[in-house]
Amino acid sequence: MSLPPDYSNEISALNREILKHQPQDVLQFCANFFLRRLESQRAEFLLSQQHSSPKGRGMAESSFPGGNPFGTSPSHTGSYMQRLDEEDENDAVASPTAASFPPNAMDKAQSNPASEDTFGNFAGFGGFGDSVKSRPQPAGGIGAPDAQNLPNNYNLNRRTSVSAESLNPASSDHSDWTPPKHPKSQEQQARLREAVAGNFLFSHLDDDQSAQVLGALQEKPIPTKGIKVIQQGDVGDYFYVVEKGSFDIYVNPSGKLEAGPDGQGNKVGSVGPGGSFGELALMYNAPRAATVVSAEQSNLWALDRVTFRRILMDSAFQRRRMYEGFLEEVPLLASLTPYERSKIADALETKKFPPGTHIIKEGDVGESFYILETGEAEVYKRGNEKPVHRYGKGDYFGELALLNDAPRAASVVSTTEVKVATLGKNGFQRLLGPVEGIMRRNDPSKLQDSDGVDPFTKSS
Amino acid sequence: MAAAVHKLLHPHRSRDQAREEEHERQNSAMDRARVEEKHTLAQWGEKKAPLEPGQIDKDPDQKMVGHSSHVLRKKDFELIKTLGTGTFARVWLVRLNDAQKGDENQVFALKILRKADVIRLKQVEHVRNERNVLAAVAGHPFITTMVASFQDHDSLYMLLDYCPGGEVFSYLRRARRFNEPTSQFYAAEIVLILEFLHEREGVAYRDLKPENILIDAEGHLKLVDFGFAKKVENRETYTLCGTPEYLAPEVIRNTGHGTAVDWWAFGILVYEFLVGQPPFWDQNPMKIYEQIVEGRLRFPSAMSSEARDLISGLCTVDTSKRLGNISGGASTVKSHAWFKDIDWDALYHRKIQGPIVPHLRGPADTRNFDEYEPESIHREGYTKEMQEKYEDSFKDF
Repeated sequence: MSLPPDYSNEISALNREILKHQPQDVLQFCANFFLRRLESQRAEFLLSQQHSSPKGRGMAESSFPGGNPFGTSPSHTGSYMQRLDEEDENDAVASPTAASFPPNAMDKAQSNPASEDTFGNFAGFGGFGDSVKSRPQPAGGIGAPDAQNLPNNYNLNRRTSVSAESLNPASSDHSDWTPPKHPKSQEQQARLREAVAGNFLFSHLDDDQSAQVLGALQEKPIPTKGIKVIQQGDVGDYFYVVEKGSFDIYVNPSGKLEAGPDGQGNKVGSVGPGGSFGELALMYNAPRAATVVSAEQSNLWALDRVTFRRILMDSAFQRRRMYEGFLEEVPLLASLTPYERSKIADALETKKFPPGTHIIKEGDVGESFYILETGEAEVYKRGNEKPVHRYGKGDYFGELALLNDAPRAASVVSTTEVKVATLGKNGFQRLLGPVEGIMRRNDPSKLQDSDGVDPFTKSS
Repeated sequence: MAAAVHKLLHPHRSRDQAREEEHERQNSAMDRARVEEKHTLAQWGEKKAPLEPGQIDKDPDQKMVGHSSHVLRKKDFELIKTLGTGTFARVWLVRLNDAQKGDENQVFALKILRKADVIRLKQVEHVRNERNVLAAVAGHPFITTMVASFQDHDSLYMLLDYCPGGEVFSYLRRARRFNEPTSQFYAAEIVLILEFLHEREGVAYRDLKPENILIDAEGHLKLVDFGFAKKVENRETYTLCGTPEYLAPEVIRNTGHGTAVDWWAFGILVYEFLVGQPPFWDQNPMKIYEQIVEGRLRFPSAMSSEARDLISGLCTVDTSKRLGNISGGASTVKSHAWFKDIDWDALYHRKIQGPIVPHLRGPADTRNFDEYEPESIHREGYTKEMQEKYEDSFKDF
């Protein structure tokens, strides 16, 4: 009896890899090798199915063993769940896609460059977003043309913890820190803003943070073709936006840039003006998942992790302390402990209103309480033509809504653009319980208690 | 070796020698203390019983465990086998060297951290937090007990109780997923841990995942690896740490985080118990983070509505709405319908039998742990400059 030729091919391929890499942990290396092989083969199969099937990926989905436990949900989202079987009928933990995969279907599988996405080589690199130009768009009408729609084989190995540099806003060396500011033209600013707009790390920023982050991007001219901006396997500290020129992206299946002419591995894409790469470096220091080489004379903007995260931290820190300070001034909330105040400060929501907005209306049932963060507002009461009061930064109103459902006693109208921090009665109660209970703490004996005075030494 | 050379070069009694003798006299007093301490440690292992939350909450020096030992040395332990490795630490199964009669079979887990690596990987602060949190919580029924800590010139040591059952992670991967009763039991013990850490200690654990949960000889959980644990009390903290699939949205966005991150991770954990993989996943970690920040959960149709409700409550992006972080804290989790069959008091006192009780040949059985590669020989020394700059940071050990 002889071994099947496919088997022999795989084993000799494995032998070559072993000779090349001389792994210390042979079993792990072999396991990884076969998982990679399996992933690529399955991915190729799926792609060929998608291309040939009129129903697009519906066909691919049904070729997996077991039912799709997410069957009730729309099929175009998160199809990676499809490999989870309802029943524990097979024991294919280490190779979830294997089991009853139809072997004859494999013959139809054809090589397709897009299948490289499923190798997991991009892990750690950060998405290329819209910037990857050369990736072929699969023809079969797949929802979104990215790797997410392919079954991603969940990595069943132990997961390593990650951590970034220790950031501590209270320490003195940070207290006078201001983010670096590198001058840019209006046009450059607008281009940069657009380039990062689709990135979720930037889309949550408020205007101030956004301005600081864009200001901190530093220009990095790349004088010529062939310069390796980042190298696969290296530590990563910078995120890059392409201003001008273009870059090629290479991935070596070994996980790092190797010596020699083919050391950078296969070209998997390229990135041009408005594109970006290396964003995982904004989270923590992870090895780069690809090598990026300039294809011509180019211009980049770079942002480092510590600057980025400090900008976010400092503005969050200042905002929280400001809110806590405001809350301390509200007599109704005087009995909150610092812990409770910090929880409320965390829950306050920022809202912006243009001038002339009725923030609260006299007679309405009140639900929320407001702190004026910036801008000015006027208070009107029915029967008075002139405002009865003016509010500025740090003033608060509507707090009685936290206590009862009585109608608003006055209207508050913005006179400038205003920014308010607001929290509803529901939110307040969810965090701290009923306001009445907190008010009751204002009882003098309770106050003494919390000051550490023995309640029995004084009659109350 | 150096001493021998020294003797050859200086055959006559020298000042150095006199000093050495004085040193030895002191050493014999140390030796007596050491013998006593080793016996005490061995005994602790024999009669360990869960402390009540109020008893744990004491100065570690007043407890039998969790103190910094000035007499223990690496040589007091025989290294038997590696139980786990991290980027700057290795955990060994150890036995007492020169143990008194009756103490010979007592085994421990010894976590050894090399100071040079801790410094190089910028983990000084985390290691300090780890030691101090473990000292404060020693004695909790479901947290690894740090029996003692000590140090020498190059390394830091934490002597921990040994959990022969191995990681929940291994059982979960082998079983692919846990059924509801198994998941409920383990999840409930975790709830008791988080309740204690958050509400009694003001500590955020920050690295909840199946890899960090061990099963002890009786089938109960022990939470290990407090490398990211931090006493946060009522201040938010900002350093990004954790495990990608388990990071809470506020950690990713760097808006400041606190104990609420553990409730988020707890929701991910329950999901992974029941489904076999965490809810947010992609080959590309940035895509994982994007999904987390968006926070849209999808459940297999087979999952019970109670489980969905619990996970949805825990994995809520808005911390002011997150179960466990809202008014009532851990008690709101404990009273959730998914936990309706749990007797919380009996659970705390380890009176409920766990679903997996490891089969063991003896207290030092390591069959439930994987094999690890031997330690690499290329190791950076602890230089004089490092010592001058950092030695003080390690003084608690």
